[in-house]
Amino acid sequence: MVRITFITPGGDAIQVNANVGDSLMEVAVKHDVAGMVAACGGCLACATCHVYIDDQWRKKLEVQSDPEIEMLEYASHIEADSRLSCQIVIGASMDGAIVRMPPSQD
Amino acid sequence: MLKARTVPDHIPESLVFDFDIYGDDRLGEDLHQSYEALHQDAPDVFWTPRNGGHWMITRYDDIMDVVRDPAHFSVREMQIPRVEDPPLFIPLSLDPPDNFPYRQALMPFFAPKTIRAMEPKIRSFAVDIIEAVLERGECDFVDEVSSQFPVSVFMELMGMPLDHLREFRTQADAYFESRSDEDVAANFGKIVGIMTELIEARRTDPKDDLISKMVQMKIGENDVSLGELQSICSILFLGGMDTVTNVSSYLFRHLASDAKLQARLAAEPAKIPAFIEEGLRSFGVVNTPRLVTQDFERFGAPFREGEMVLCMLPLGGRDGRKNENPNAFDIDREKIDHVTFSSGPHLCLGHVLARLEMRILTEEWVKRIPSFRVKPGVKARSRVGTVMALEDLPLEWDK
Repeated sequence: MVRITFITPGGDAIQVNANVGDSLMEVAVKHDVAGMVAACGGCLACATCHVYIDDQWRKKLEVQSDPEIEMLEYASHIEADSRLSCQIVIGASMDGAIVRMPPSQD
Repeated sequence: MLKARTVPDHIPESLVFDFDIYGDDRLGEDLHQSYEALHQDAPDVFWTPRNGGHWMITRYDDIMDVVRDPAHFSVREMQIPRVEDPPLFIPLSLDPPDNFPYRQALMPFFAPKTIRAMEPKIRSFAVDIIEAVLERGECDFVDEVSSQFPVSVFMELMGMPLDHLREFRTQADAYFESRSDEDVAANFGKIVGIMTELIEARRTDPKDDLISKMVQMKIGENDVSLGELQSICSILFLGGMDTVTNVSSYLFRHLASDAKLQARLAAEPAKIPAFIEEGLRSFGVVNTPRLVTQDFERFGAPFREGEMVLCMLPLGGRDGRKNENPNAFDIDREKIDHVTFSSGPHLCLGHVLARLEMRILTEEWVKRIPSFRVKPGVKARSRVGTVMALEDLPLEWDK
């Protein structure tokens, strides 16, 4: 199990245990994290699973694919540490990661 | 026995339920509530022998599973019953990865920030349409409001010149009023014709609008062809009109029957987004077909290659396993689960726009007509099938 902390748009911190191999989006959906929409379910057809991941953990993730970079352009409230959470697979190196939700997904 | 012909041998009797999507006797004046009765009366996934025989998927989780699994459930045929030479709608009837480049190319025009920039224009359309009926104290909401509004928005989105407005609106009206297959085809052909003229005009003289940008689209390495553009424009037209019109019509029929809710929205416009989301949950209008690509078992049902499957998207929102008291309209729900815009690779491209249109229409309506009702003695009549529509909605209010 890998511990992930989500910070909701309202500022609440929700700590959950995530399975290695699940996507970060699936973890947030499973735990009903406020601010997660994930309308398409993880096939890069929308940009509604947008999250911010601090540098410290970001560096440990696999690099973004071109389709993710392209789709992320259409998300709102983009910052330098924005990612689409459906494209992030939970690995042991993410233990303790803090994931912030954007103010909204639209 | 007649039935034996449309119930294949491999389907057990326990999974057979006789239901006609084009006009079942069980469907009543409150269309969505009567549809929801299937959750009590029929198996979650069942085979109906009607309309060539097809599967029906009635539960939220199962629908999600089907629409997110293009390997087993393809979009390449979307007609029930099946037809020879099914039409190709780009990107709607292309499975991944073929739909992907088209979707990527269209995405910028439907992204939240693009849509937000259209808000003032969309608001002015809503105001004009409502003010045209305001002083009369009555209107047919379907004919004069909910079917007019998305036509204006579509023309704005596409960048159709205003001198085309009357011609295009007349043609759109003719299309939506057509009932016979021949009329539908003829009027649809004319709409494609109008858009083709515009495509050709923008090819030689590009402007800063959607059609001009679409003409310059690259699909992978290649330039987009005229045929592809016509197909894309057709699906944008079909997807953007009927849907917003029909959901808004059912939603306003509900609102017209609930004076307390009207007063609440007038007093608390900040609740309008929740009202829209609950409306989307309660009054979905699209049932989306899929074609089974191989023999396999799922949901305890034996699927065979070539069978049609219909995902009852409106029943997803009415699934009591996802939303308590699914037939109660409650804008204070903590969580609203629905699959009205579908999900997976064909998630409705216009979902942000649709929500915005419906929110603005409601905001501008309750500002001007805070209290209204359905004219007495009027029965609700719906057209049913893969797209469900309220035929008319005569409303009245105190001047």
